Amino acid sequence: MLLFATKRVARAILTVLIVVGCAFAALRLSSDPALVVLGPDAPPSAVAAFRAAWGLDQPLWQQFFYYIAGLLRGEFGRSLLNGADVLPLVGSRVLVTLEIMIPALAIGILVGVSAGAYAALRHNTPKDRLVMMGAVAGFTVPHFVLGLVLVLIFAVHLGWLPSGGNDSWRSAILPVVTLSTGWAAVLARFTRSSVVEVLGQPYIRTASAKGLLWRAVIIRHALPNAAIPVVTTIGFMVGGLLAGAVVTESVFSWPGLGQLIVTSVAARDVAVVQCVLLLVATAMVLSNMTVDFLYTLLDPRLRGGRH
Amino acid sequence: MTLLRLHKVKRTYSTRQGLFGETEQVSAVNGVSLSLERGRTVGLVGESGCGKSTTGRLALGIELPDSGDVTFDGTRLPHPNTKAWKALRRRMQLIFQDPLGALDRRLTIGAQIKEPLAIHKIGSPADHEGQVHRLLAAVGMRPDQAASYPHELSGGQRQRAILARALATSPDILVCDEPVSALDVSIQAQVVNLLLDLQKEFGLAMLFISHDLKLVGCLAHEVAVMYLGLIVEQGEPATLYNEPAHPYTKALLAAVPDSTRRGPRPLLSGEPPNPAARPTGCAFHPRCPIAVPKCSQVEPALLPRADGRLVACHLAHVESAAGEKVS
Amino acid sequence: MKGSRGDRLSSADRDPAGATPLLELRGLTVSVGHLPVVAGLNLKIARGEAVGIVGESGSGKSVTWLAVLGLLPGSLAVEGEALLEAENIIGASEQRLSQVRGGRVGLIFQDPISSLNPVQRVGAQVIEALRLHRGLRGYAARTEARRLFELVGIPDAERRLDRYPHELSGGQNQRVMIAMALAGEPELLVADEPTTALDVTIQAQILALIERLRREMNMSLVLISHDLSVVAEVCDRIVVMYAGQIMETGSTRSLFASPSHPYTKGLLGAAPVLAQKPQRLASIRGHVPEPWNMPPGCPFEPRCPYAMPACSAARPLLSNLAPDHQSACIRAGELPALARHGPT
Repeated sequence: MLLFATKRVARAILTVLIVVGCAFAALRLSSDPALVVLGPDAPPSAVAAFRAAWGLDQPLWQQFFYYIAGLLRGEFGRSLLNGADVLPLVGSRVLVTLEIMIPALAIGILVGVSAGAYAALRHNTPKDRLVMMGAVAGFTVPHFVLGLVLVLIFAVHLGWLPSGGNDSWRSAILPVVTLSTGWAAVLARFTRSSVVEVLGQPYIRTASAKGLLWRAVIIRHALPNAAIPVVTTIGFMVGGLLAGAVVTESVFSWPGLGQLIVTSVAARDVAVVQCVLLLVATAMVLSNMTVDFLYTLLDPRLRGGRH
Repeated sequence: MTLLRLHKVKRTYSTRQGLFGETEQVSAVNGVSLSLERGRTVGLVGESGCGKSTTGRLALGIELPDSGDVTFDGTRLPHPNTKAWKALRRRMQLIFQDPLGALDRRLTIGAQIKEPLAIHKIGSPADHEGQVHRLLAAVGMRPDQAASYPHELSGGQRQRAILARALATSPDILVCDEPVSALDVSIQAQVVNLLLDLQKEFGLAMLFISHDLKLVGCLAHEVAVMYLGLIVEQGEPATLYNEPAHPYTKALLAAVPDSTRRGPRPLLSGEPPNPAARPTGCAFHPRCPIAVPKCSQVEPALLPRADGRLVACHLAHVESAAGEKVS
Repeated sequence: MKGSRGDRLSSADRDPAGATPLLELRGLTVSVGHLPVVAGLNLKIARGEAVGIVGESGSGKSVTWLAVLGLLPGSLAVEGEALLEAENIIGASEQRLSQVRGGRVGLIFQDPISSLNPVQRVGAQVIEALRLHRGLRGYAARTEARRLFELVGIPDAERRLDRYPHELSGGQNQRVMIAMALAGEPELLVADEPTTALDVTIQAQILALIERLRREMNMSLVLISHDLSVVAEVCDRIVVMYAGQIMETGSTRSLFASPSHPYTKGLLGAAPVLAQKPQRLASIRGHVPEPWNMPPGCPFEPRCPYAMPACSAARPLLSNLAPDHQSACIRAGELPALARHGPT
């Protein structure tokens, strides 16, 4: 068990390292930050000075080594644009992103799981088909389309809600709705198929045959089994939470992590992009590990060992 | 004439119990020797987990033994998925339990029978159509059924289609792993009769693997009883079924449902054992009603008795040796 | 209403003892759309009687019993009556049925491992039944669950209560299923292919267990199987079903001594015996007709070696050959003579 956990953590760290390394190489090789920051017409002496100041004149592997060494000391780098420490910058943006992500995820789970379960229990009825049509629609419409439509209706035509920014809680409503629609749709489809599959299992018939009312069969036997794959999906959603709002934040000019990614990539602010990627990769890996752990918690078959 | 010979083959798997479990060594086949002859059937019986299916895969060379060897026509079986192995494979075919799973549900029966002809470049493509019809006829199906998809056929017809596909390459050996256990009694009888007819017609050597002693008795010229990866008794069905020498064979026979029996029967206690925790000595001793201390210490060898059959039991040999001298 | 049912019962009931059967099916019909998969079944199960239901897939042998207990999906329509001591439970309320299921009628199924909830401990699943039907909770429920485990022969019962199904063998899981079915102290145990998924040695153990429990607890037993020899060992009476209808029914002894329906004869001939050399089996030609492809007369007519034109004219009804033996073959009387001279 301990050995297994150690292996798991080592593999997770390796994954993060590989992601960060690839991003590092890609960012450095795709274009020259010095030229981007100083402009294409900058004098060669200024470019050379900039490179020397930021260590960009050293070989790539050495730059990477310094970067990792810095990470181990808790230094995440400084912005190429203004020399500020990137960690507080990224951190503050994370909080802003979570302001819309957490409510959106909560609503998505609530709506998606209940809609999916509702559809499954009315399998192959018009109600089931209606819910699933809604889910397909929510799943296929891209965020930017849905976001723009919502802006058109509620901000431009009705004037009920602001079209962007984050001045008050009311500006969060449209982005939250946009984000939660997608998640709810995915979860509804997933929950439905999971519940439908479980309802066809012999142990559901056994539960009825022992004299449980149908409602109790669902609550006590169907849902705990159907939850296993659904919880996994939710786990992966949580992992993708930080990086998931790039489009939506741009549409609603929500000053979160997504916007920061867009602006820093455009400006080749390597240190910021690097830090964001590190964060996102870590979140993914952590949620992966949590999902594995939840799996074994929910499904005794994975706990292993005939005693 | 011996076509296929397994000599003391062993096969061990490593498995992990659950996500966090430790890996353990499970010895599936623990030194089995068998030979298959043209026109004859060897029946392999035993409870689940006794290694009978693994033995079947070793015989076909789908898996390689950890030790011991398998020879076909006097030469050792090549490594799986090599060119030589693929060439040999057309002479050996496997048929197993789930007829729907063994067929591709997107292809018609005809297309699936044609496939091995194309793979092994048997005949010209122009002849294939006629060949498919001949094969379907051989297994008692109509030519127009070549156009059906697996789900359009009944279970028995699917198993016939699989047989037709297996026969496409004119194999010398057929390994059947529980080929009829998923079928209804009346259909099961049809397939059993078909196997008997095909064997007579094509002179096939068959290895028939089943948990059903009655079924094996209908097909086999020789029966081998397996327990925990070893053959414990082997001989002609007549001797084996009339006077089983090994206590495990006795117990298996006593467990066979019998419409003429009323009232209690001798029951074998306990569960089929876990291959990962093999008992010492004779693996059967914890469930054996007549075990003596020696049984838990010394593993009995599979030795011939005067009546020609092989038995691996200390006591069975004592019994027979008392009467006559065994060389 | 009550009076009229009583009258009908007394006239219809020809039990030698004259007692009301525990369960009586009258004209039980199950259909998908307008196609019947069980067609007008009449059957009585007496108290303490062990009845074997034999048939191939598609015979309706399992569907019948799921229909009786209202366990079929809504897409299958159930008509007719299932009288549990004069109370019709077909179409009864869910509340009422839930008292019968696992209470007066216990059920066990094929494939015990997938019939148990994989994420719940086996003890909890038995305790749930004890709570439902006997109101037992906490320590009392656990003690009773352990007693049931011991009764069905699960070794080390106390610890096994806390195991999950995947941690037990197939045979032990089937014992758990039986313990669960016994939790409500049923008067009737319906066992649907309880040993099909098990090894032959374990099958023998489970059959012996069911037989012992039935005698000790004086239960009625309905044992559903595709294997005549399995039901013959345990049951007093055998019902042979084909295409949703009863082909033949009789005491085990008389059914084996003089099978009086060509289908029964076919089943007996097709079942392998402990043979000692390779030999052909007497197979039944063709296959079971699909519900949408049912012949107008006797459903077995297309496969029957003794069929004659009258067989396809009308569906034959069960007729008495002896007090304990009925067959739905219009040539039942001639069969012994026909068999001597071979099929026509």
